[in-house]
Amino acid sequence: MMGFYFSRLVEIYPFFLKGLWMTSKIAFISLVTCTLLGFILGIFRSSNNIILKRIVGVYVAFVRGTPFVVQIFIVFFILPEWGIQLDAFPAALLAMAIMGSAFICEIVAGGIDSISRGQWEAAASSGLTLIQQLRLVIVPQAMKVILPPLVGQYVLLIKDTSVVSVIGVMELTRVGWVTVVRIPEGLMVFSLVGALYFSISYPLILLSNYLERKMAVQ
Amino acid sequence: MIEFKNVNKWFGKLHVLNNINLKIPKGEVLVICGPSGSGKSTLIRCINRLEKIQKGEIIVNNTPVHDKLSNLTKLRAQIGFVFQQFHLYPHMTVLQNVMLAPVNVKQLDKKEAEKIAREKLEQVGLTEKSGAHPAQLSGGQQQRVAIARGLAMSPEIMLFDEPTSALDPEMIGEVLDVMVNLVSEGMTMCVVTHEMGFAKKVAHRVLFMDDGKIVETGTPVDFFDNPKTDRAAEFISKILTH
Repeated sequence: MMGFYFSRLVEIYPFFLKGLWMTSKIAFISLVTCTLLGFILGIFRSSNNIILKRIVGVYVAFVRGTPFVVQIFIVFFILPEWGIQLDAFPAALLAMAIMGSAFICEIVAGGIDSISRGQWEAAASSGLTLIQQLRLVIVPQAMKVILPPLVGQYVLLIKDTSVVSVIGVMELTRVGWVTVVRIPEGLMVFSLVGALYFSISYPLILLSNYLERKMAVQ
Repeated sequence: MIEFKNVNKWFGKLHVLNNINLKIPKGEVLVICGPSGSGKSTLIRCINRLEKIQKGEIIVNNTPVHDKLSNLTKLRAQIGFVFQQFHLYPHMTVLQNVMLAPVNVKQLDKKEAEKIAREKLEQVGLTEKSGAHPAQLSGGQQQRVAIARGLAMSPEIMLFDEPTSALDPEMIGEVLDVMVNLVSEGMTMCVVTHEMGFAKKVAHRVLFMDDGKIVETGTPVDFFDNPKTDRAAEFISKILTH
């Protein structure tokens, strides 16, 4: 019986590859947008501008304090009420960007806050603009603190892409659901799904471990 | 060149600068001393607006520093600032530390900036350390790099905030020597320090602060040998006997 299902699974493997491709696509786009947004928000969060700091603080608290599934539903089902109609794919990307940027924001702000005031003052005293101070002096030093948890966060974000299956995006987890209806061999199907996720995230786990060791030595 | 007019500053309720009036002409070497918490560091940090003042005016080279509309970047480019804790950029080499502002603020091309940086490193006697990172240097060497970093912008004014206070005693001399050389070049300098030897040797004027006020000013000889106020006399006897 098992062998029969296995041969069916082999039959539908292109379907899995498509799911893997969709997951990779969502993951890649999300990592890029979350990183960009996360750095901008993190810089705001660690700035001296109290209003900016508070606004970002509220945003981060809201995102961290609510389940990702609920955030996806808000983006997908509630935004249309206000006239913003999104397809499942862009809705998934938007939800990922909102969630991921909040977590990365905290990592970036923590890194920037770890740099002493003296570094800011030295850079400012020599006439560098605020953006130059960040780009040339502060962020390069903060990266040592930011990088290991950032890569760790990437692993979490890749796994969180599975949650967007709830709004019907045909990514890996969704493919698993659909397949298991036709091939009632849950263990096999979801082991395969898990293995495929693992194949993307494991290199990043290794990278994160490596960075942690390397930064600890410095 | 630098003028304070009725300058007042508060940290919360603490009145750190209490009605400061002060003129520093071009080429003057002014030593500022006083007990800790007297406002002396705050005073020089206001000159390049590392600290904002709440009342009064500070004018540097005809630029109103207190005015939000003034071009802060341009102002700061003319003023070198040396910190007690050096604050070199640890992720860069010594040469990169010194070149950073000339390349990014003055927009000099790299070759020209490097030439200037090497000149300044030679001036502070650290040519051979240009490829090292700050962490590989002694405190005295780090502070000399910090001075070279300030000089690389060809500033008209150099501000020193307790430049030798974080140094081991045997390294104080090498830093003071560099500063004495600067005096001979005619640099306008404000130095917060308790180094009486330095003050007596090169300062044109000594300013004594206490409680956010300028209590006394005078030539180094007058100030150290014949202080006019009891407060200054007490302070001088303390730093002499410590």
